[in-house]
Amino acid sequence: MNGPALAAIAAQLVVTVAGAPLLVGLMRQVRARLEGRAGAGVGQPWRDLRKLLRRPPVTPRGTGWAFRLAPLLLVGSALVLAAIAPLVTVASPLDALADLFAVVGLLALGTVTLALAALDTGTAFGGMGASREITVLALVEPTILVAGFALSARVGSTNLAAIVTATLHDPLRVASPASLLAAAALLIVVIAETGRLPVDNPDTHLELTMIHEAMILEYAGSDLALVELAAAMRLTIMLGLLASLFVPWGIAGASLVALPLAVVIFVAKVAALGAGLGAVEVFVAKLRLFRVPELLAGSFVLALLAVASSFFLA
Amino acid sequence: MTVIGWALAAACVLAGLGVLAAVGAPGRVRPAFVGWATAGIGVAGSVAGLAALRGETFQARLPGLLPLAGVQFDLDPLGGWFVAVSGGVLAAAAVYGVGYASHGHGPDARGVQAALPMFAVTVLLVPAAGSVSTLLVLWELMALTSLLLVLAEHRQRSAVAEAGWWYAALTHVGFVAILLGLVLYATSAGGGSFADLRAAHLSPGLRGGVFVLVLVGFGSKAGLVPLHVWLPRAHAEAPAPVSAMLSAAMVNLGAYGVIRLGFDLLGGGARWWWLLVLGLGAVSALYGILQAAVAADLKRLLAYSTVENMGLVFLGLGAAGIFAASHATTLAALALSAALLHVLNHAGFKALLFTAAGSVLRATGTRDLDALGGLRSRMPVTTALFAIGALGAVALPPGNGFGSEWLLLQSLVHARPTGGMVAAVAMPVAVAVVALTAGLAVATFVKALGVGFFARPRSDAADTADEAPLTMLVPMSLLALCCALLALVPAALGRTLSRAVTAATHAPADVVGGGISLQLAGIASTVSPLLIAVLLGATVAGVAAMVRLMTARVVRRRGAALWDCGAGQPTARMQYTATSFAQPLQRVFDDVLAPETDIDVTPHAASQYLVAQVAYRARVSDRVEHALYDPVLAAARRVGRLGPVLANGSVHRYLGYGFFGVTGLLLVLAVTR
Amino acid sequence: MTDISYPQFLDLAAGVLLLTAIGVLWRHQLAPMIRLLGLQGVALAAIVAILGIHEHKLELILVAIGLGVLRAGVLPWLTWRALGDSPAETRETRPVVNVSASLLAAAALTFLAYVVTRPLVALAPSPATSVLPVAVAVVLIGFFALVTRRRAVAQVVGFLLLDNGITATAFLAAAGVPLIVELGVSFDLLLVVLVLQVLTTRMRAVFGSSDLDELRGLHD
Repeated sequence: MNGPALAAIAAQLVVTVAGAPLLVGLMRQVRARLEGRAGAGVGQPWRDLRKLLRRPPVTPRGTGWAFRLAPLLLVGSALVLAAIAPLVTVASPLDALADLFAVVGLLALGTVTLALAALDTGTAFGGMGASREITVLALVEPTILVAGFALSARVGSTNLAAIVTATLHDPLRVASPASLLAAAALLIVVIAETGRLPVDNPDTHLELTMIHEAMILEYAGSDLALVELAAAMRLTIMLGLLASLFVPWGIAGASLVALPLAVVIFVAKVAALGAGLGAVEVFVAKLRLFRVPELLAGSFVLALLAVASSFFLA
Repeated sequence: MTVIGWALAAACVLAGLGVLAAVGAPGRVRPAFVGWATAGIGVAGSVAGLAALRGETFQARLPGLLPLAGVQFDLDPLGGWFVAVSGGVLAAAAVYGVGYASHGHGPDARGVQAALPMFAVTVLLVPAAGSVSTLLVLWELMALTSLLLVLAEHRQRSAVAEAGWWYAALTHVGFVAILLGLVLYATSAGGGSFADLRAAHLSPGLRGGVFVLVLVGFGSKAGLVPLHVWLPRAHAEAPAPVSAMLSAAMVNLGAYGVIRLGFDLLGGGARWWWLLVLGLGAVSALYGILQAAVAADLKRLLAYSTVENMGLVFLGLGAAGIFAASHATTLAALALSAALLHVLNHAGFKALLFTAAGSVLRATGTRDLDALGGLRSRMPVTTALFAIGALGAVALPPGNGFGSEWLLLQSLVHARPTGGMVAAVAMPVAVAVVALTAGLAVATFVKALGVGFFARPRSDAADTADEAPLTMLVPMSLLALCCALLALVPAALGRTLSRAVTAATHAPADVVGGGISLQLAGIASTVSPLLIAVLLGATVAGVAAMVRLMTARVVRRRGAALWDCGAGQPTARMQYTATSFAQPLQRVFDDVLAPETDIDVTPHAASQYLVAQVAYRARVSDRVEHALYDPVLAAARRVGRLGPVLANGSVHRYLGYGFFGVTGLLLVLAVTR
Repeated sequence: MTDISYPQFLDLAAGVLLLTAIGVLWRHQLAPMIRLLGLQGVALAAIVAILGIHEHKLELILVAIGLGVLRAGVLPWLTWRALGDSPAETRETRPVVNVSASLLAAAALTFLAYVVTRPLVALAPSPATSVLPVAVAVVLIGFFALVTRRRAVAQVVGFLLLDNGITATAFLAAAGVPLIVELGVSFDLLLVVLVLQVLTTRMRAVFGSSDLDELRGLHD
C-alpha cells in the first residue's frame, strides 16, 4: 500500500469521524433556525460526546455480552465502511475488499448488533425498537439491491469505485432517468436506514414513535457516546455514498495533490445534502409506523423503474 | 480399487455393522455403537466425495441385480460435491447424536437405530447412482429409512405421527413423479444407465414432460412450495440429530436430482423449464422465510428457513438454466456455482443451528421461543455456536451464507447483456426476491437469537438450563469451524466448484477464483470476506483500546437496575416475545400470511368500560396447506366413504372382485386384439 | 431543439407521465391525486409539443396547447369541484388493494407493458416508440386505479389516467390520431367527468358518501 493511498484512507477516516457529529449538529441547527429557535450550535453533538466519553458506561443488570459488544461493533463496522467506501477517493486499495453488496451487508451488520443488544436488555422498549428497526431493515433491502442493479448493470461491476469512475467518465449518465430514479429510491432508503423523518424521529422519546432511540435507551456513558458517534458516522457515510454515486465530481484519483480539494468538496456535498434533509424535516410529519411500508414500497417501485427505464431506453 | 471404491465399500460395511449393532447390542450402549458407526459412514462418504472432487472417477456395475440396467454406480465431481457435503453433515450429526442420546433423549428403539446407518448410507449413495433403477431403489430406501427416523418419538407426541403421515404422503407423491419421469425417459432412451440417457435424442415435448415430472419429484424432497408442507412438520418433530441430517443433507438431494437430470442428462433444455424452476425457487424462498419470520417454534423456524434456502438454491439453478439456454456459459457456470456453494453453506449453518436447537431442547424441554430466553449465561457455548450459525444464515459479512448469496447476486445483476428479454425482466425481480429474503432472514435470526438466547429467561425451564455435554459440543464446534472457514476463504473452493459445475454442464467453468478475495471471470466485482473480518476485528479492538484509554481514570463499568419508568423493575413477562417481535412483519405481510388473531376483552364486573382481562391469540398457519391440501384431503375422505359400500365384509364379494377383474381384463384383451 | 436533446426531453416527459400515474396510487389524499393528474396533463402536452417541434408540425403544437388546457386545466378543475368539502370525503382510506400492493402491482404492470410493446417498438425503433411502454404502462395503471379505488373521485382520476395513457400511446405510436377523433374523445371525456360530478353530488346527498360500493345497495 503506497503513500497516497494511505493518506486518502486516513483522510476519509478523519473526515468521517470528526465530521459526523458536526453533520448532525448542522442538521439540528438548520432545523432550529427554520423553526425560529436559536439552536445549540453546530458543535453541540461533539460537546455531548466529549461529556459522555468521560463518564463510565453503565451495564443494566441482566444484560450480557451482546449488550457490551454492540457499541464497539457498531463503531467498528462504521470505521471499516469509512475506510473502504469511495468518499474522498476512488483509488483506495481497500475498495476491492467490499463491493456494493458487502457495504450494504456491513451497514446491516451494525443494525443487527444494535438490535440484538436492545433485545438483550429484556425491556419492552428494547424489544419494540429492535422489532421495528429490523422490520424497516428487511423492507429497505430490496430497494437497495435493485437500485444497485440499476447502477451496476451497465458498469459490469458492483464495486463502488468502479461505478463512481464510470459516472466520472460519462457525466451524462447522471441525468439519465435510471440514475435519477435510483437516486430518489436510495434517498428514501437512507432516510429510513438512518432513522430520520418521516420514518423515525431522531429527537423524540415518545414510546409510541421511537425506533432507534428505543433501542439505545439503556446505554449510558462512553457506551452511549460510541453508539451516538456510530449513528452519526453511518449517516455521514450514507450521505457521502449518495453524493459519490450521483454527484461524483471533485472526488480524488490516485494522486495526492487532489486530496485536500477532494476533502473540501466532499464536506461541502455532504453538508449540503444534510442541510437539505434538515430543512425538509421541518415540513414533514412522522408517518405512522404502518404507513412506512407504503413509503418503502414506493421507493422499491422507483428502484424497479430505474432498472426498467434502463431497458426501455437501451 | 480406487480411494472412492474403498471408501464407499467401507461405508457399506459400517452400515451393515451399524444395523447389526442396532439389532444386537443392549439398549444402553446401542445409540453409541450405532452413532459411531454412522459417523464412520459419514467420514467415509466425505473421503469418497473429496476424492471424486479431486478428479478421481469411480464406476461399479452389478448387472442382473435389478431390472433395466442393473445396479450401477458412477461417481463424478458433481455427485462428489453432494456426497462430500452429506458425509460431513452425517458425521457431525451422528457424533452429536451419541451425546444427545446419552442423556435419555433421542430414540433408542431397535428399528429406529437400525434405520440410522441405512439412511446415512443411502443418502451417500444416491448421488453415486449411475442408472435409473439404482437411483429409484436408493431414493425409496432413503425415503423409508428417513420416515422411520422422523417417527422416532411418536410415542411421546401425537404431532410426530401427523408429521409422519404428511411426510410419507408427499415423499411418495414425489417418488411416483420421479418414477414416472425416469421410466418414461429410460423407455424412450432405450436403456436405463445414465450414459444411455445422456446419449438419447428425445422430442422436445417428451423432454419437457420428463423434466416437469422429475422437478415435481425432486422439488417435493427439497421442500419447494407448494410441496413443502411436510418439511416444517417432519424437521421440527424429528430428534435433533435427525433434523440436522434431513435439513442439511437429505433435502440437498432434491437440488442434486434437478441438476443431474436437467443439466447433465437432458442437457440444458428449453428456457421455460428454467423459468419455472426460477419461479418456484423465488416463491419458496419468500414464502419460507416469511413463515420462518413469524414462527415462534425454534425448530419450525429453522425448518422454514430450509425451505427458504432450498428456494434460493433453485433460484440459482433456474438462473443458470436460463443463462445456459441463452448460451451465456460463463454466467450459467457462475449461477450454478452459486447454487452449489449455497448447498454447502446451508448444510454447514443449518446442521449447526439444528444441533444447537437440539441442545436447547435437551436442556429446557421446549422449542417455544416465547418460553426461552436468558440462555447465554446458562449455555454460553451453545449460544455462541448458535450465533455463528445465525450469522451464516442471515447472509451478512462475515458469515458463510454471504459468499454464496454474493455469487448468486453477481450472476443475476450481470445477466443483462446476454440473457435476452426474459432475463431482462426476470433478473431484477429475482434480485429483489433475494434481497427481501435476505432482509427477512435477518429479522428471523435476530428474533431466534435475541429472543431465544438473550434477555432474561421467560420460564423456569429456561432458567434452569444446563450446558450440553462435550460429545455434543465438539461436533457442533467442528461444524462452526467449517462455517467460519467457508465464510472467510470461499475462494479456496473455486477449482473444486468448477470441476463439479463442469461435470453438470459439460462446459469449461473456471469462473470463481482468487485467493484472499473472491474474483470472478468476466465480471469485475470483488469482495474479500477474510479482510473484512480482519479489519472489523482490528477496528473493534482499536476502539475498545481507545475507549479504555480515554476513560482511564474511571474505575470500571457500573452495574445498575434497568430503567423502569419509575414503575418498579420490569419482570421477564414484560419482555418482547418472539410473537411480539414478529408482529410488525406479520402486519405488513398480512395479505400473504393471513394470520388468525383474536382478541377477547373481558370487562370488569362493575362496568363494561373497565377491562379486567385481555386475551390475545395469534396463529399463523400455513396458508398453502389450507388452500391446496384441505380440498384434496376432503375429496380423499369422500372417496374413502365409498369403502364401506364396496367392502361389506363378505369374503365372496372380495374374491369376486378379483375374479371379475381378471376375466374382465381378458375380455378386453380378447376384444381389442 | 437539437437532435441530441430531443430523446432526452421525450424521456423526461414520459418519466413524469409514469411517475405521476404511480404517484396517484401512492397517495391516500384525493387532493394531491388531482394535482398529480394536472401535472400529468402537462407532461402529456409536453410530449405532444416535443413531437411537434421535432417534426416541425404546427398542428401538433396547437393540439398540444389544446390538450394542455383540457388535461391540465379543465378536467382537473372539474374533478376538483366534484371533491366535496367534508373531511371524511377527501381521503381514499381503504382501497380494494392496499397501497403497498398497488405500488408493486404498478411495477409489475410496467414490466408487462414493456414486454407486450417489445414487438411494436421493434417494428419502428425511434426515440418516440421507445417510450411507448411508458404510455401503455400508464393505461394499465389507470385501469388498475379504476378497478381498485373506492371513492368516485379517485375512480375519475383513474379513468383520466387511462385516457391520458391512450392519448400518449396514440401520439407516440402514430404521431397522433386525426384531430377530429381527438376532439370527439376529449368531448366524451368532458361529458364523463360532468356526469360523474353530478353522480357524486347526488350520491353524497343520498348516501352521505361517495363510496361507489354503496351503489350495491340499489340492487337489493
